[in-house]
Amino acid sequence: MTIAEQSGILHAGLPRPTGEIESVLIAGDDPLARHLLATCLKKWNYRVIAVENGLDAWTALQQEHSPQIAILDWMMPAIDGPELCRRLRSHSRGRYFYLLLVTSKTNRKDVVEVLDAGADDYLIKPFDVDELRARIRVGERILRLEQALVHARDALQFEAAHDSLTGVWNHGAILELLQGETERNRRTAGSLGVMMADLDHFKNVNDTYGHVVGDVVLRECAHRMVAECRGYDWIGRYGGEEFLIVVPGCNSADLLVIAERLRCGVARQPIETRGGLIPMTVSIGVVSGQFFQDSNPGYLAMLSAADQALYQAKAEGRNQVAARSLA
Amino acid sequence: MPRDPGINDASAVLPDGARFTVQESPAPEETLPASPQTACHPAPWSKSEVLDRLGEDEDLLREMCGIFLSESASLLQKLRQAVTQNDAQAIMRAAHSLKGEVSYLSAPAAIEAARRLEDIGHEQDISRAPEALALLEREMECLWRSIREFTGVEP
Repeated sequence: MTIAEQSGILHAGLPRPTGEIESVLIAGDDPLARHLLATCLKKWNYRVIAVENGLDAWTALQQEHSPQIAILDWMMPAIDGPELCRRLRSHSRGRYFYLLLVTSKTNRKDVVEVLDAGADDYLIKPFDVDELRARIRVGERILRLEQALVHARDALQFEAAHDSLTGVWNHGAILELLQGETERNRRTAGSLGVMMADLDHFKNVNDTYGHVVGDVVLRECAHRMVAECRGYDWIGRYGGEEFLIVVPGCNSADLLVIAERLRCGVARQPIETRGGLIPMTVSIGVVSGQFFQDSNPGYLAMLSAADQALYQAKAEGRNQVAARSLA
Repeated sequence: MPRDPGINDASAVLPDGARFTVQESPAPEETLPASPQTACHPAPWSKSEVLDRLGEDEDLLREMCGIFLSESASLLQKLRQAVTQNDAQAIMRAAHSLKGEVSYLSAPAAIEAARRLEDIGHEQDISRAPEALALLEREMECLWRSIREFTGVEP
């Protein structure tokens, strides 16, 4: 998952919706085997989805909460077992399926073919229910391991792109997002707003109340700004007490409205800390870029224009929004 | 597993099995007295072996038998049609499916008879198909009778 694929501002480090380990897909045109499998699996508390051919199996496994364990007949109408294994392995979009092939073929060459096609394991007809159960447990074990690894990877990806103190995007990630939005607007000839927000006199908070309180203030200010952003805006911590906000699809008038909302959100009421109530304000420099097919501002030009607007807001007394237009 | 060698020997049962053939070939055997009862192996399937595989779940076994009776009858019908039409591919497919079904019931003679037809289909040796079909039909009759006795379902 790239950063741009993650949506929302305070995206929690939760796992994406995945398939289900506690449910099993069974596919085959043999009603006897289907009944045997379904009866046993239900007895063992699995949810069962049964289909009669390979095409229906393929469709069922493409669904969002499809089973992650599939028991497939070798011979099936539409798509046979080995071919289905091959397709699932080349199109599974990061999700792992545990594939168990049922076959009456017992020679070594057939076993090799099944495993080479992408099956994890196989059962020979007529199978023993105890053996079936044991093999399903192996599948569950593998899938739980895989799930744990995916969750760990997602959590690391989240941490790598987010500021651990405030939970918003970190410096590298917000710049990457700004770059991505600039590119996108170049293609679509859209408009893009950029804000640079800096908390006023934040150094005084640290000096007066200490860094622990300073952290509380920083986190609360970030949360207040997040609350005023739209769902599709991006906010990141650019540096110390500086935040970069990327505002897609926004003309200069709307951009000023949003910036003003952010400023008020921070200043509205003092922040409760164990050092007492601390009133905070923010200065914001904004720049809006209109993109055209042939002439367009680069993201660095937008950044430095927002920076200049921020200096202007600071110079004119802080707790205000200043705008710059791109040359 | 116990197996009557006579049942697996095509020539031993051919005169009897011939009464099931749908071919229009001359059948002098028709004049022989048909006595399928006496030719059936006393235990065409192994209930204890199947139950062992099913974790001793007799309800499940009865359900399986019910499905088997209807499913195997329709597969045999498909097989008859394939033999009549000399369709080697269809013979192989239907025989393979039927072999799978009877294997769940541990019926060695029926498995063997189905396997023989599957091989015939695979090798496209159609001339041997009617004879092998007749043998399989006989084995299926024996098996069905025995299973109906177990489930108590009337034919």
